[in-house]
Amino acid sequence: MIWIAIRMLTGDAQKFYGLVFGIAFSTLLITQQLTIFVNLLERGASGVYNVSSADVWVMDPVSRTTDVSYALPSTALDKVRGVPGVEWAVPHIRAQASVRTKSGDLEGVAVIGVDDATLIGLPKNMIEGSPDVLSQPDSVIIDDVGMTRMFPGQSPIGERLELNDQRAVIRGIADATPSFTSTVVLYTKYSQALNYVPGTRNRLSFVLVGAEDPSQAKALSEKIERETGLKAQTRDEFARDGVDFIIENTGIPLNFGITVALGFIVGVAIVGLTFSLFIRDNIKQFGALKAIGVTNGKIRKMVAAQAALVGFVGYGLGVLGTLAFIWSFSANPTFKGFYIPWQIPIISLVAVTLILALTGWLALRNVLKTEPAAVFR
Amino acid sequence: MAFNLRNLSFSRQVLPAIAGLALLLAIFFIVGGLPDRELSEPENEPPRAPEQLADAPRVAGSGVVEPSSEVVQIGSALSGLVTGLFVQPGDRVSEGQTLFTVDDRVARSALREAEAAIGEARAAIAEAETARATASRQLALYRNVDDPAAVSRSEVIRAEGEATAASQRLALAQARLQAAQARAASARTEIGRLTVRAPIAGEILAVNIRKGEYVSTMGGGGSQPFIEMGQTQPLYVRIDIDEEQAPRLDMGAAATVSPRGASDQQVKATFVRAEPLVVPKRSLTNSAAERVDVRVLQVLYELPEAASTSETLFRVGQQVDAYIPAKGGE
Repeated sequence: MIWIAIRMLTGDAQKFYGLVFGIAFSTLLITQQLTIFVNLLERGASGVYNVSSADVWVMDPVSRTTDVSYALPSTALDKVRGVPGVEWAVPHIRAQASVRTKSGDLEGVAVIGVDDATLIGLPKNMIEGSPDVLSQPDSVIIDDVGMTRMFPGQSPIGERLELNDQRAVIRGIADATPSFTSTVVLYTKYSQALNYVPGTRNRLSFVLVGAEDPSQAKALSEKIERETGLKAQTRDEFARDGVDFIIENTGIPLNFGITVALGFIVGVAIVGLTFSLFIRDNIKQFGALKAIGVTNGKIRKMVAAQAALVGFVGYGLGVLGTLAFIWSFSANPTFKGFYIPWQIPIISLVAVTLILALTGWLALRNVLKTEPAAVFR
Repeated sequence: MAFNLRNLSFSRQVLPAIAGLALLLAIFFIVGGLPDRELSEPENEPPRAPEQLADAPRVAGSGVVEPSSEVVQIGSALSGLVTGLFVQPGDRVSEGQTLFTVDDRVARSALREAEAAIGEARAAIAEAETARATASRQLALYRNVDDPAAVSRSEVIRAEGEATAASQRLALAQARLQAAQARAASARTEIGRLTVRAPIAGEILAVNIRKGEYVSTMGGGGSQPFIEMGQTQPLYVRIDIDEEQAPRLDMGAAATVSPRGASDQQVKATFVRAEPLVVPKRSLTNSAAERVDVRVLQVLYELPEAASTSETLFRVGQQVDAYIPAKGGE
């Protein structure tokens, strides 16, 4: 019986491909747009995720994200070190600076100063060179965004830059997730960063903390807040802060929300129209089936099977399209680090199921009302 | 139903197969593409609290290693060219040992002048003594004459006058000798002042002068001290404690100190004293901008002696991280 339903469905190739295309297109739209949306938002947290060893970030109470921060006095580091449960704490500076390239161009960069002795605060992986190059005088490590932005088509290793009238030599390339604004990032030692960034009295942006028990990071951050009066956020909380900052301050959620809704509406419109047309065309066949004694339950199952096949094929092709899109753009630095969170295909699957259930239910109403005599009309 | 290529339907069999493959691929891609956000252990050892303080109340501070005598910046009392330099960095010197000498030719010629004057004065004394002896013998001769008519009264007066004048000339010559001796002594003092000696026993930490350079008594204004020295046995470490944390500090407890960059090598340092004056924190970043809004209590701790010179862990001027127990619970 199911076989007949499938035959019925694929018998009309035009309608069948129309249905598959409708589902595939809305799956693609929903999945791809949601993927880009989530990844763009997570760019706000890339500064946090690039530091792979800190459990807790300590900052001034008014600091909001890695880029919107207010400097601390240098003794804050010792205060944090004095809190029981803190295994280690190191200074971390993040500041904006202008760099003059060899050709004389001015480029805004983010200077990140990591702890002199331990180099905690660098990204986990390096594309070229090792983190130890920072022990050489006037060394900086550039991130891969900077490599493509400032030195297209050539190796930046050994290039000299001018930061705050001081020499900086690029000696390594870090493999980091770009920030929301894709700013060029230069990593250097804390003491060196103080010279590179002309600044105010207080320079220390963050204190990175390693917890004795990483699973108790939340409790530790509360303890640090209580004992030092500073603001302490666990890694995940602070990443979330970065995402929230983008949600609050940009139109991205609204824009992408509209696109996702459009995908849904397009899906409903195409699939709904085609599916109900298809059912209506086949109403004679359903009538005949009813005439030979097929129950309404059987017919429901048949329509469900048709919907399932269309959904399965359409969904599969839509996801394939998303994969192809993400994969083909993965070499582009703008899309670096983009990934498909596993929740998104599930969301689009739910959306596809909803579309098919809705349109199938609408179409079925007619079929169920059909008299077996319809076949004779 | 046997497999038959003619029975193979694109829409009924191939498409679902493609869709199924796509879903498998998607699962593979999604699982493989998840970003690496695992927390990792830092590669280099960061400074950690010592084990016994791990869960106990504690105060952390950073500081600088210094000699127990503090750094003595040797100056020069007089300006001039350096003519001799007798120490180099790392030398251990005893108290009073010559460090360097400043050009003393002027002082030495003054000394020779004074010595010549001494000789002249001595000769004058001898001459005056002779004259006085002659005059007194003359006078005695006249006095011993019994017959008043034999010597005229005026002769006697003249002889008496000569004797007095001779003894006054002697007194004058002696005064000249004393003046010349005083001049010689001051020239010798000058020569002594041109030799700079170690004020205490200790180690030479830095030598910033070389033979032939001009040392000036007008120090200051960014000029380097000529020689820096200090007692490096034992070494002290001066820990800055934030004034807000200072009341919590367990004064007198031993501190756990580790040098920057070798935080796994922790040593126990014994308490020496806390400075009575709370000072603005000195920025150790070589940056001209000082941070003056934070004040710190400076506490001194004595570092244990290194087992051998090759295992020296701490050097003067090195930055250290320290953990000190705090008072009681919260």
